Amino acid sequence: MTSSPPSLGASVSVSPGVRIKRMLLGGGPLVVLLLLLIFFTFASDTFANPGNISVLLTQLSILLVLGVGLTFVILLGSIDLSAEGVMASSSLVFVLLATNDRNDFQFGILAALAGVLTGSLFGLVNGILHVRLGIPSFMVTLGMGAVGIGIATVLFGGRAPQLLDQGLRSLGVDKVFGVSKLVFLAALVLVIAVLIQRYTRVGRYGYVIGGDEPIARLSGINIKKYKIYSFVLSGTGSGLAGVMAATQLGVGDPTIGLGFLFPAITAVVLGGTLLIGGRGGVLRTLVGAAIITVLANGLILIGVSIYIQTAVQGLVIVIAVVASGWSLRRRVRVIK
Amino acid sequence: MSFSRHTGQSTRRRLVTSAAVFTVAAMALVGCSSAPEDASAGATGAAADVEIVESVRSLSNSYHANWVAGGQLFADSIDKELVVITDEADSQKQLSGIKALAASGKIYALNVDPNTSSDTEAIVRAVTDAGGYVVTQWNKPDDLNPWDVGDHWVAHISFDGTVSGKEVSAKLFDAMGNEGGIIAIQGILDNTSSKQRYQGLEAALAEAPGIELLDQQTANWSRSEALTVTQTLLAKHGDAVKGIWAANDEMALGALEAVKAAGLEGQIPIIGFDAVPQALEAIQSGTSGFVATVSSDAFWQGGAALSLAYKAAIGEIKVSDLSHDERAFYGKQIIVTPDNVGDFLSTPAISDLQADFDDPFGRSQGPIN
Repeated sequence: MTSSPPSLGASVSVSPGVRIKRMLLGGGPLVVLLLLLIFFTFASDTFANPGNISVLLTQLSILLVLGVGLTFVILLGSIDLSAEGVMASSSLVFVLLATNDRNDFQFGILAALAGVLTGSLFGLVNGILHVRLGIPSFMVTLGMGAVGIGIATVLFGGRAPQLLDQGLRSLGVDKVFGVSKLVFLAALVLVIAVLIQRYTRVGRYGYVIGGDEPIARLSGINIKKYKIYSFVLSGTGSGLAGVMAATQLGVGDPTIGLGFLFPAITAVVLGGTLLIGGRGGVLRTLVGAAIITVLANGLILIGVSIYIQTAVQGLVIVIAVVASGWSLRRRVRVIK
Repeated sequence: MSFSRHTGQSTRRRLVTSAAVFTVAAMALVGCSSAPEDASAGATGAAADVEIVESVRSLSNSYHANWVAGGQLFADSIDKELVVITDEADSQKQLSGIKALAASGKIYALNVDPNTSSDTEAIVRAVTDAGGYVVTQWNKPDDLNPWDVGDHWVAHISFDGTVSGKEVSAKLFDAMGNEGGIIAIQGILDNTSSKQRYQGLEAALAEAPGIELLDQQTANWSRSEALTVTQTLLAKHGDAVKGIWAANDEMALGALEAVKAAGLEGQIPIIGFDAVPQALEAIQSGTSGFVATVSSDAFWQGGAALSLAYKAAIGEIKVSDLSHDERAFYGKQIIVTPDNVGDFLSTPAISDLQADFDDPFGRSQGPIN
């Protein structure tokens, strides 16, 4: 799960036993997750119930899709802060093109696709502005996020359009094998992301570029192209997250993504992907997102006072980051 | 002023120019001065020169969109352009937007929903310095009142969430047959309205021995967060949850989606506050379980309060003659149930609100302090 991806910095030929030992000694994020799972299982009667596990998986799904997309950009050493704006726009594009209470469009699954592609388009613009005009990704994506909210506000027009397409609505509401359909969608996204990361140039070069951009450039890699691709992947993830949230809430809404951005970034970093890039991966993001989801759910179940919940959450995350980064602390790394 | 810039000109030219500049300046003073030095004099403007302005968080929520629609109705009723400032919940942006109003040099009448209580003082002082007239709503520090600052802070309007919170909670309990457990979802914990509404719930609980508060959480006014929190609480308490109390409609609608996804739609009564359109439709449908909400009438808030600021700006209302009760008062709130929901589903016409534009105090429910 948390083994380093094969492309950089990892010795490919370690035996599983050594790997596990390393992970335990290093206190990997997976250990933190396991400890949390064990703790909450004993501390709460309901935590490990099938009902709550289903809830946990549902709550994990949107955050995971968002975090997985974001991972590709963070691996470059860049950042994408546009998620909330992109989710807003994509949710509205989606709902307004599907059967809704505002207009007569009913493009069904194509509407969902349009929502996702809205995100891809945002990613493309982010990437082009960042790479071609040389604007720091932080500024570009922050700005484009605001543009996303703005577009969504115009489309919103004072009240949230409701999604009336029952088939699409069922994606967010109905369950298969006891868990929300969104969970299967998120799992599919994860698998695709792992394949992209391992077997495509976008994925592999991402590590090289994030690890040392000048070397990547000297090796003849078309850095600009692959950076733009990574931003498109991130935008696509946000777009899909917006569509998923819309099927779940039944509306397109400019505020639909509020409160998702920082948990998503935290999920990526907590999983062990470095903000300076070059090291990490989407499976690590799964662990990071799971920690955040379990924590938020578990603290409510064991009845921690709402006045200190956020503080406890923050504290556990800081401890988790320290613990999971313990083995790396002596390596010469620049922390920015 | 710009007198010294004309050094290259003949004395006579300069005199003429100076006279012209002086005349313009004098006219400005008579007409609609917004110069800081005469703000204390309480200058008011001719109706034609007064700008009317709404400052709200954002147009991306129905509540503030309705608020601005109400302001537009008032603007139409006096045949004026409405200026709208939005800040996307950024307090600094709100303040700088309001400060920028002074640049036009016109007197302005401002109706503002300050982002937080701590923003209010900076806003009213900026307006006072610019010689504008402002009515604030919802948020202000308890110990700061309009008369402490001066005549340019015309009034503060709020809504007593304790009273409406108790009434609407009683509706929830009725729908539950006055028996069973409820979960409560609060807004941002240090917001006055969230606190008051929750106090209203507590007051209602004290009178309803059959109702048990199983759990209370915050979802920060957000629909998405409320969905997540409700999912978790339903998993935690299971069948014991017989009702859901949410401190606003957005969260109530998020909770409703969680209830739907759990296959319990219609079986768990839900209440909210603010009367956003989708909540009204859910109440009207009668099958969703959404049983009641509270309306402070955003159209009234946007229109009547702006009318009050405008009347002060054109001198029709003399602020110094207003009593303290008129300068910090609670507006009227209405409990919306399936019985009266029809009245709230459509945008009002100017005629519906004209009486309130003429008498902005008409819906006062008494002083705040």
